Amino acid sequence: MTFSLARKWRLSLSVKFALAITLVVAGVAFTIGAVIVVQDWRRFHAELEEKVLLLARSVAVTAPEAILRNDYWSLYRSLKKLAEPETGDIRATRIVTAMVLGPDRRVLAHLQPKEHPLRLPLEPGNEDEARLLEAATSARSPAVLGGGGVGTEGYLEGIIPLYSDEKLLGVVRVRVSTYELLLKARYSALLVLGLTVGLVILGSLLGAVISRRMVKPLTAITRGLEAVRHGKLMDVSAVSVQQDDELGRLAASFNEMAAELAEKKELEEQIAVSEKLVSLGRISAGVAHEVNNPLAGLLNCIDTIKKHPEDRELMERYLPVLDKGLNRIKNIVQGLLVELRVEDAREESGLACLEDLRGIVEAEINGRPIHLVWENNLDDRIRVNSRQVQQVVFNLLKNAVQVLPEGGTVAFRSFQDGNCVVLEVDDDGPGIPPEHRSQLFDPFFTTKPNGTGLGLWIVYRLVESMRGVIEIESEVGAGTQFLVTLPATDARV
Amino acid sequence: MLRSAIAILLVSLSIGICRAETQTPIRFGLTAVIVQEHLRFLDRWAHYLSNKMDRPVKFVRRKSYREVMDLLEAGQLDFAWICGFPFVQPRDPEFLELLAVPVYKGKPLYNSYIIVPEDSPYKTLDDLKGKVFAFSDPESNSGFLYPQFLLAKKGAKPQHFFRQTFFTYNHAETVEAVADHVADGGAVDSYIWDYLQSLRPEVTAKTRIIRKSPAFGFPPLVSSKRTDAKVVEQMKSVLLAMSKEPTGRQFLDGFKLDTFGDFPPELFDGIGQMANDTRKALLWLASAQDRAPSETNRK
Repeated sequence: MTFSLARKWRLSLSVKFALAITLVVAGVAFTIGAVIVVQDWRRFHAELEEKVLLLARSVAVTAPEAILRNDYWSLYRSLKKLAEPETGDIRATRIVTAMVLGPDRRVLAHLQPKEHPLRLPLEPGNEDEARLLEAATSARSPAVLGGGGVGTEGYLEGIIPLYSDEKLLGVVRVRVSTYELLLKARYSALLVLGLTVGLVILGSLLGAVISRRMVKPLTAITRGLEAVRHGKLMDVSAVSVQQDDELGRLAASFNEMAAELAEKKELEEQIAVSEKLVSLGRISAGVAHEVNNPLAGLLNCIDTIKKHPEDRELMERYLPVLDKGLNRIKNIVQGLLVELRVEDAREESGLACLEDLRGIVEAEINGRPIHLVWENNLDDRIRVNSRQVQQVVFNLLKNAVQVLPEGGTVAFRSFQDGNCVVLEVDDDGPGIPPEHRSQLFDPFFTTKPNGTGLGLWIVYRLVESMRGVIEIESEVGAGTQFLVTLPATDARV
Repeated sequence: MLRSAIAILLVSLSIGICRAETQTPIRFGLTAVIVQEHLRFLDRWAHYLSNKMDRPVKFVRRKSYREVMDLLEAGQLDFAWICGFPFVQPRDPEFLELLAVPVYKGKPLYNSYIIVPEDSPYKTLDDLKGKVFAFSDPESNSGFLYPQFLLAKKGAKPQHFFRQTFFTYNHAETVEAVADHVADGGAVDSYIWDYLQSLRPEVTAKTRIIRKSPAFGFPPLVSSKRTDAKVVEQMKSVLLAMSKEPTGRQFLDGFKLDTFGDFPPELFDGIGQMANDTRKALLWLASAQDRAPSETNRK
């Protein structure tokens, strides 16, 4: 389980949970284990102290009698019996040495007779030994001394001074190795370590199981929420509700929410479809109406002309009317087709084409005293659907020019804002009355006597097809501002 | 047929046991002249003797020869297996009679060994001057009298010649004391040393014999003068006949002895002579010390 530091913080909740349980179990098990080991060590130590005194005492029972009788052989035999492990009994306590010394420090019996001959003063091998010898011979009551460290050389020495009728006869010294303590402590430490590892493994398994059970519904809900965020409401499968707890309730309410959202989306789609149908119907009705009106007049003219084929004056009067009516129908059909035509034109090009518009707009002004401000700040390397953009800007400028009174000002500004192209058409004309605003982009809505009502509708459809946004700010008597924001591909990148 | 024979045998055995239990036991004293630690072996031998004697035989063990001798004198023992040295001691009135002498390696003789630790540099008794010496029993011939005799011939007393001496009251333990370096030298019974060598060779291997004594009469079996002559006669014949029948042979093999033989008390004259010589020498040494106390003080 090695994770880089960067990944460490991205561990899933289930892993974190299992890790936390493992850590807690390990901590508790280790602490308890350490306490047990320490307690064991102390108990073993106390037991060994008792034991070494007991061993020394067993020698001390018969020693005074033997000393008084110069029975050194009995003394030696009692030491030897002490050190000899009884057959079949695996005595863990190892007797390092044992001896009986006289008050003059002469050896009365020693477990190593070759090195420490009978009736010669005991020669301490080193400073430690000399210190112990001093302590042992000056002891006036039973005592336990230690030395040699904790390892294989460690020992405890039981000291019993021997008295007979208050006369000091000598001292019994029995020394046992404390190595068995180390072995015992090591054994219990290993046992505790094994148990700790076992508990940790169990704890982490348990943690993994619990966290899986807890986190599984959370993961499912998270996946569901991600799907909701991406709008794929149909992909949200119901989270299984297994328990009647907080998580179960969470899963259940999530399921309800997902179902409601899916229903809502379905409804919205249905509404959108019916809206489309409605607008299609409106367009059809508009077309029928707009085309039918002039058609009736035209047919009337043609009828009159048919009745009076020789009347030149009539002809001259009616021809411009026919021409005007047919042109109007042509305009309407063209207006309807312009969207299709322009939508089909997928060519992307630079925005130099906007400069071409300037001349056309000036022609539209047609010498009227209207001031045109032109600020094209766009880089030609930005790619947009130029035909569509051209159409949008032209329609907006044309509208403005048409509504402006004498001496009015129309301004065109374009600039780049991040990844977007912003096109701004500004006029100081009469503004749009509030009651018209909701119908502004409807087809065939017009306030002009000769308007088709398709200009802004086309603008709206084109901006929408380019995934752009159109905003209007208008104040009656102060002017109107159209703000078109379009996403652009930057050729420089 | 076979079943009835077994039944009869069992009945006669139980009668025998019942009768034996009702009678006063024959008390047989044992000393460290033999290895006494083999209790089950000795129990079996007691059982064997009881059967042969038609009376229970009970072994009485004491730590020292002195205690056994005191029991004999007090009439508390009917028989005893003692050492040649106590046997030759003058007694007034005499309360012992020679019963039988074991035959060891074809002869009723044995020696005393002066032993030292195998890894020690000592080659002669003189090398042990100022060292620790282990004796077996103060009334042992091989374990005390002989080394004392050797020192007396040199004009020395053990307590002055050695730094320290002690008694183990057991030949086998004297070997152990020397093997363990508790003593730098010791005097033991050759029979016991040989016996140990076959039984516990690892112990005797740690010792080295630096001197063998001349042959002495083997530690004898004696009877108390108070014991009924018939019983003494019966015991003697039982002991002498042991080598002639298989069960008795087994016990002799266990002791590593050839047989029990009938020998005259003169067999122990050598020990008596040595005891006399030693006593005289020690007396002379004591008087010499009296005559020159300043010299010994300076020592």
